[in-house]
Amino acid sequence: MRLSPRFFSSKLSATQRRVYRAVTGWFVFVAAAMLWPLYTPFARVRPLVLGMPFSLFWLAFLLVASFGVAFAMYRWESRS
Amino acid sequence: MGVAQLMPAWVIVTSVAVGYLLVSLGVGLLSGRNASKGPEGYIAGDRTLGFLILYFVMGASIFSAFAFLGGPGWAYSRGAAAFYILAYGTVGLIPWYAFGPRVAALGRQFGYVTQAELFAHRFQSRWLSAILAIISLAAFVPYLTLQMRGAGYVFNVVTEGRVPEWLGAAIAYGVVVIYVLASGVMGVGWTNTFQGIFMMVLAWGLGLYLPYKLYGGVGAMFTELAAAVPEMLAPPGLDAAGAAWTWGGYGSAIAVSAIGFSLWPHYFMKIYTARSDDVLKKTVIFYPTFQIFLIPILFIGFAGILRYPGVTPNEAILPTILMSMDLPAVVVGLFCAGALAASMSTGDALLHAAGSIMVRDFCCVLYPRKLTDGEQTRLIRILLILISLLAYYFAIVSEVSLVALLLMSYGFLVQIAPVMLSTLYWARSTPQGILAGLVAGCGTVIIFQWFPALQWQQIQPGIFGLLVNLVVLITVSLATRPMDEGHVAQFVVD
Repeated sequence: MRLSPRFFSSKLSATQRRVYRAVTGWFVFVAAAMLWPLYTPFARVRPLVLGMPFSLFWLAFLLVASFGVAFAMYRWESRS
Repeated sequence: MGVAQLMPAWVIVTSVAVGYLLVSLGVGLLSGRNASKGPEGYIAGDRTLGFLILYFVMGASIFSAFAFLGGPGWAYSRGAAAFYILAYGTVGLIPWYAFGPRVAALGRQFGYVTQAELFAHRFQSRWLSAILAIISLAAFVPYLTLQMRGAGYVFNVVTEGRVPEWLGAAIAYGVVVIYVLASGVMGVGWTNTFQGIFMMVLAWGLGLYLPYKLYGGVGAMFTELAAAVPEMLAPPGLDAAGAAWTWGGYGSAIAVSAIGFSLWPHYFMKIYTARSDDVLKKTVIFYPTFQIFLIPILFIGFAGILRYPGVTPNEAILPTILMSMDLPAVVVGLFCAGALAASMSTGDALLHAAGSIMVRDFCCVLYPRKLTDGEQTRLIRILLILISLLAYYFAIVSEVSLVALLLMSYGFLVQIAPVMLSTLYWARSTPQGILAGLVAGCGTVIIFQWFPALQWQQIQPGIFGLLVNLVVLITVSLATRPMDEGHVAQFVVD
């Protein structure tokens, strides 16, 4: 029996694997970008963007951008 | 002279709130008509839920009374520490995109309606099922209790004390118990749709109106705050005592909440209700459009800092602001309704799940013979009433502080992550490894909760538990005999 875990099905094509790895990579980046130490340079009060302190704007930006990435992946899946 | 000036404000406020409750009740009672009578209908909605209802089931269940009380409260007294609430929802539901369709397919194939049924079948362990059921109940009851307290509190404050807290909580949750008894998950779903829309409108409305009224706009508000109290706007913000919070505390709060997000048993079991994989995926994709309403919620709390200093407890900030402004009673009534909606839409899901899980994962598993569909639904209904009475007792009669219990339950919840990962992605995991890891992880959480000095960098106990859990899971699994390959192959990704 296989000793190591398997997260992606062996039946996926190379392109599919690449896309899912990239999206996973995006979300790992997002998670890291909300925590120390990656968040630290963005966890500042100024400049105010859209009226919000930059620390809050950064989180809002990650939320909206993640929505975009996930939506794009969903559309790509529906087409292929 | 209009009618409004003839009636005292609190009567109008109560009427609006009662109007909302009657609509909720009506929606809740009507929604269960077409579902089948057994557990598949009562717990999983016959697996027919479409995107819109699942979107609101998730969104409204997730946002509890905390959205209007604790959320602004955190922003008001702890500043940027409150950003953690916004952060974890950005990544928390994403795992469902990956494992949701697989779980739903297994659910259809084997007839699962709860989370533990999947794990117990995969690892062929009734003990696993019973332990998870107890953990779920221990997590749900304090959570439900806090929702009841929130409902009673809001109803009391907006009527200037005329509706006592025990009565407000009893009316709101009387309605919940009736529609959950009558309609099961369909009742939860449709009322959550109505309640969710209410909450979103209220959050955006208040979150944009209050900064405008008190400062002249969101930008003006934050400019003032940046000048007067910049430490409130820089993460990690303040801890509960008002001292600087650590990155360890802030980051681990995000991590624990994010990891547990996709695993809370009462959310997880909604995977089985989806009509199709497409519905499930769209729900995950569009969830951030619900989550983003936390931004105006935070604005509300920030708005209180320079205009209403010294409000305690911090949860009182939003009701305090509203009651001090000269708002029309109808608006205050709508706020009350919105806060009740936030509480009830979480409470109904918790109550429904608690009853379903205790019957399917505890009673059915330990009872010598198989219970019929009719017996199961009857037993669920009886347990629902008992659990709601227990939670009500803790909410109104008992003075016990449940926050500590709730925090500990987050730690326990995170221990389900290795079980979930092993179920679908690690064939070599064994029942002994899973159980040993779970027990070791939960034990570690208890120890670190009891001895807070152990929490290095104020990191949440759940994280330490998770590390211990993984180490024990891996070593014990590798040291015990592998499971039957044919059985495992039905579940794991290949």
